[in-house]
Amino acid sequence: MTTLLTVKNLSKTYDSKAAVKNISFEFQSGKCIALIGPNGAGKTTILRTLAGLLKPSSGTVKFTDMKENDDLRKHIGYLPQYPVFYSWMTGMEFLVYSGQLAFLSKTEAGKRAEDLLVKVGISEAKHQRIGKYSGGMKQRLGIAQAIIHKPKLLMLDEPVSSLDPIGRREVLTLMEELKKEMTILFSTHILSDADEISDELLLLRKGEIVEAGSMSELRQKYQTSKIELEFQDDLENYQLKVNKLTNVMDSYIDRNVLHVTATDIIQARQEILTAAANENWPLTNFTLNRASLEDMFMKVVNN
Amino acid sequence: MQEFFDAINWAVIAPVLVIQGILIIIAMIDWAKADNTNGPKWMWFFIIIFVNIFGPILYFIFGRSQR
Amino acid sequence: MQWSTLFKKEMLENWHNKKWIWVPLVIILIAILDPISNYYLPQIIESVGGVPDGTVIELPEFTPAEVVMMSLGQFSSLGVLIIVLMSMGTIAGERKSGVSELILVKPVSFKNYITAKWAALLVIVWGSLFIGMLASWYYTNLLYGELSLTALLQIVFFYGLWFMLVISLSIFYNTLFKTPGLVAFLTIITIMLMSVITQVFAHVLEWSPNNLSSHIFEMLMTDSIPSDLIGSAIVTIAISIILVAASILTFKNKELAE
Repeated sequence: MTTLLTVKNLSKTYDSKAAVKNISFEFQSGKCIALIGPNGAGKTTILRTLAGLLKPSSGTVKFTDMKENDDLRKHIGYLPQYPVFYSWMTGMEFLVYSGQLAFLSKTEAGKRAEDLLVKVGISEAKHQRIGKYSGGMKQRLGIAQAIIHKPKLLMLDEPVSSLDPIGRREVLTLMEELKKEMTILFSTHILSDADEISDELLLLRKGEIVEAGSMSELRQKYQTSKIELEFQDDLENYQLKVNKLTNVMDSYIDRNVLHVTATDIIQARQEILTAAANENWPLTNFTLNRASLEDMFMKVVNN
Repeated sequence: MQEFFDAINWAVIAPVLVIQGILIIIAMIDWAKADNTNGPKWMWFFIIIFVNIFGPILYFIFGRSQR
Repeated sequence: MQWSTLFKKEMLENWHNKKWIWVPLVIILIAILDPISNYYLPQIIESVGGVPDGTVIELPEFTPAEVVMMSLGQFSSLGVLIIVLMSMGTIAGERKSGVSELILVKPVSFKNYITAKWAALLVIVWGSLFIGMLASWYYTNLLYGELSLTALLQIVFFYGLWFMLVISLSIFYNTLFKTPGLVAFLTIITIMLMSVITQVFAHVLEWSPNNLSSHIFEMLMTDSIPSDLIGSAIVTIAISIILVAASILTFKNKELAE
């Protein structure tokens, strides 16, 4: 696997307010990467900077096999969060126009446009004015215009957040398909979307990357499973006993439930159950609780 | 007043009236097809029809919505 | 050819938004306003009344050259206003609406983007000017006396340069700001300022673009092309080129999104 894009020490400052603070990362080709974070974390700023719409305050963005002085925009496709088209053009006309601007010949652009209109599922509306398109149709036309010139990297800014559940499902399925052909970088503030189609996550908070890695890596890292214990009586006494166990990290009492966090959850379970059996603890409830992905997201983001 | 109208060479005035007519018609067609305008749509109807010469021009410059 | 793609889109858009219809028609109306109203002025005054019987209304007889200059006079105010209002959103509007975000992430050269828009405006304005002057010429010949076709073409050519400057100014402000109204305001203010400066420093600014009209009148009176007209023409072309080059430069250094 080769590195497609390297971002080094990228910063973007607006009126002395930093929107993106000194971030560095690399993309491998063929991956689908999600930029995830709450609103205002700098997702759009990063995408726009990579797309060349904004100039970085400092730092560099470089494609691996790009020649000196080559136009970075040849290699990327970009869909803004709220794409605006020339409403007087038809979907077909807009795609051909986009293709020609990216140096396709008129016939090439026409052929490619036909294919893409079928692929994104709006070919029956190709001769309709874009002004008459629905939000979902515009989003799909937006994806088509972004990939008309076969870019190496497709960037989508919140591609599904403005869509209804059906439109959302359709666009996610489409992205799933595009994943096979190109590298995709998309932003979202919804974890389940990222979880569903991305190979890797970049978690952003206030313009900084707070965590990066594949889904399973992150899951493992942030999985602080808990054991919940309930006793008939004398909770404090048993808390002291539990705390003495070697694999137990910490514990606290909340509403008559003893919450136990462990360095190794499996070992801790073993220890607790053994102690309970040997010392005959009046245990009324034993629950092993795995933290959900949302918990992890909230934890990283709120930190 | 009658003298005034008689004195007018209609071959001179007719082109002005024709141009004004075309402007109103084109503006009305565009107005009818428009999904939305800048400001209330009905208002532009009256401006196009009743504001002499300038009505259609005002519509084309300020009334047409870009989107 | 990326340039011709961009240029064709502009031409097509001007057809869709009806500019190809209304701009020439309005320019024609502006051009024939004075020739017609001056011709009928005696009748208009008479019919409005208030003039004692037997009063002989004496109005100056206009020469064809003077009548054509009236048309140019209207172009300098109303015509410029129309051109500025019609061009105020050509780039600013696209940036404001957000379409430019889709267009400018494609490998579009800024030079192509700006010059294509400039050229498309020039075609529509020059075309309208030509048709408008043709109409003015028709009325001049009909009502006042003969003016040669050569003279007409010369007028269109030299006055067209003034409109080119107006368009270049508008394009320049279009690249600086993304509010069309502000673009129009600044373009008009700049033209007014140029006119004031030209009047104040009249003795040194003989070749100011604002003097194009008066040099054209001189041309009509003397029936030859005065050297000051050539001078003004060259200065006008030079300023236009500088403005377009400056527009490309500002655009290159500009953030294209918020």
